[in-house]
Amino acid sequence: MLAADQRTPGARWTPFFFLLPFLFFLLLFWVIPLIGGVQMSLHANGLGQAEYVGLAHYEALANDERYVTALRNSFVYTLASVVVIVPLALWLAHLLRASFRRLRPVLTFALLLPALTPPSVLAVLFLMVFHGRNGLLNQLFVMPLSFEPVNWLKDPNFILSGLVLQTVWRWTGFMTFFILAGMEGIPRVYYEAARLATGSRWQHFWHVTLPQLRPVLLFVAVYLVVDGFSLFSGAFVLLGGSGGTADAGLLTVTYVFQKMRFFEYGTASAISISLLPLMIFALSGLLFLRRRTA
Amino acid sequence: MSVCVKNRLGILSLLLLGPFLLAVLLPFLWMALGMFKTNTEFFQPLAKAFFPANYDWQNVTELLKGRWVPFWAVLGNSLIVSLGQALGAVALSAMAGYAFARFTFSGKRLLFVLAVALILVPRQLFAVPLFSWVNELGLSDSLFGVMLPGVVTGLGVVYFTQVFRQVPEEYLQAARICGAAEFRVFLTVLPLVWPALLSYGMIHFILAWHEHLIPMLVLTSETKQTLPLALAKLYDVSQRTPQGVQMAASTFAVIPTAALFALCHRKFKSSLSDMLAH
Repeated sequence: MLAADQRTPGARWTPFFFLLPFLFFLLLFWVIPLIGGVQMSLHANGLGQAEYVGLAHYEALANDERYVTALRNSFVYTLASVVVIVPLALWLAHLLRASFRRLRPVLTFALLLPALTPPSVLAVLFLMVFHGRNGLLNQLFVMPLSFEPVNWLKDPNFILSGLVLQTVWRWTGFMTFFILAGMEGIPRVYYEAARLATGSRWQHFWHVTLPQLRPVLLFVAVYLVVDGFSLFSGAFVLLGGSGGTADAGLLTVTYVFQKMRFFEYGTASAISISLLPLMIFALSGLLFLRRRTA
Repeated sequence: MSVCVKNRLGILSLLLLGPFLLAVLLPFLWMALGMFKTNTEFFQPLAKAFFPANYDWQNVTELLKGRWVPFWAVLGNSLIVSLGQALGAVALSAMAGYAFARFTFSGKRLLFVLAVALILVPRQLFAVPLFSWVNELGLSDSLFGVMLPGVVTGLGVVYFTQVFRQVPEEYLQAARICGAAEFRVFLTVLPLVWPALLSYGMIHFILAWHEHLIPMLVLTSETKQTLPLALAKLYDVSQRTPQGVQMAASTFAVIPTAALFALCHRKFKSSLSDMLAH
């Protein structure tokens, strides 16, 4: 690629001209609130002129059992959603490719409808699925299989599974769509080459499809991790901001929200900031994988 | 593969997809039918009263006439906020992506890493400081207070960087030889990548449409609310809104994004496939 800055002396600033609007808004609505958040986490709870308390909020968090529970739940929830959604979406994408060409767009669209639905509407839909004895899940699956009906939103043994089920229902179709787009982008030649070298369908999948899909799968995983750890909606959908019985469904975002509701802004910010090292870790992993793909 | 085998495979895969389709569509059907039901009907076990006894449009007209929430104002607010946010995000990210893809400059790596970091640290995490900062800027209870913070997106920048990397260099050189300034060059490239612009705009519109936390903090007066906030109010038990009205509002909240996606579906997928093929 020819660098444009070799053309004219004034062109050295051209890239920054293109970046300027983005950087301006980045500074205004991302960097400044971030710094504000760090400051808030170092001050006593409450807005306005609060007293400086140093790292007291962080020290309190280290001894806070609910914080540890929230971290553990978030971790399990995120991991489970990635582990369930990615293979399921891969399988569904295969099924869609094998089904009739004409029907494919309609079927894909139907599958990703949940991703287009506002989270607050999802909350209502889930009420129907998970609701006590009369919920769809109990009526259609649990009771016909002659199990005791599960109280999905109250029983601490099932709340986290309910949350995972909710994300799976919500995101699988969307991820299937991305994987399908990725599959359609794989050049035909690769499969023809693989066919010449014989090998089973499974081997084609393993040696051609999967490596080619690596960027898509990376995107899917990142999206789910971000959604699991830091987006408000998923957790809010099912339990409406509470942690559920015995905090079995308490996620880090829910905990932040709870602290905010009681105006404990210092603690809330400290929780948010304590997630940053985790995200940086994920980021370095991501960049490492990207380099390996390139 | 023979036609017969292909057909059999198609039918088999449809059968396997069936349960998934049912699991996805059944709750939506229940929601749409719910708008015709009375409260007593609504709370009966599903098997007994999945379909309403009669299709009464009263709930829908009540909602549209604004008896429970100023429905049309709310819908308009949501449209303004989401559209503004999508347009702003596309403009900013396309320009930034062009710079990342087409120039070498000092600090490029660092800035790009920052853009990726944006994806991982969503602004919901810093909702409170963001909210107090928006207040200080004098944007509290203003649609701009929701719209402007929403135009910064890491996903968009990374996406457009990838998109502009695939524009052939000869195309740019041709424009430059004609003596076009770099911004003119950028503008002439835009028509080449319009499926990507449309696709990202759509995704961002949908995300903005769903946004709940930041509007909840920023927008306070009733006529400034966006759809998710109005829905939350309708669902609130203390408001005693009939279930049918709630279901009607929920259904109407899904329709715009679903329609938008249905319209752009094909373009979006081919744009993604192209990008991933390189």
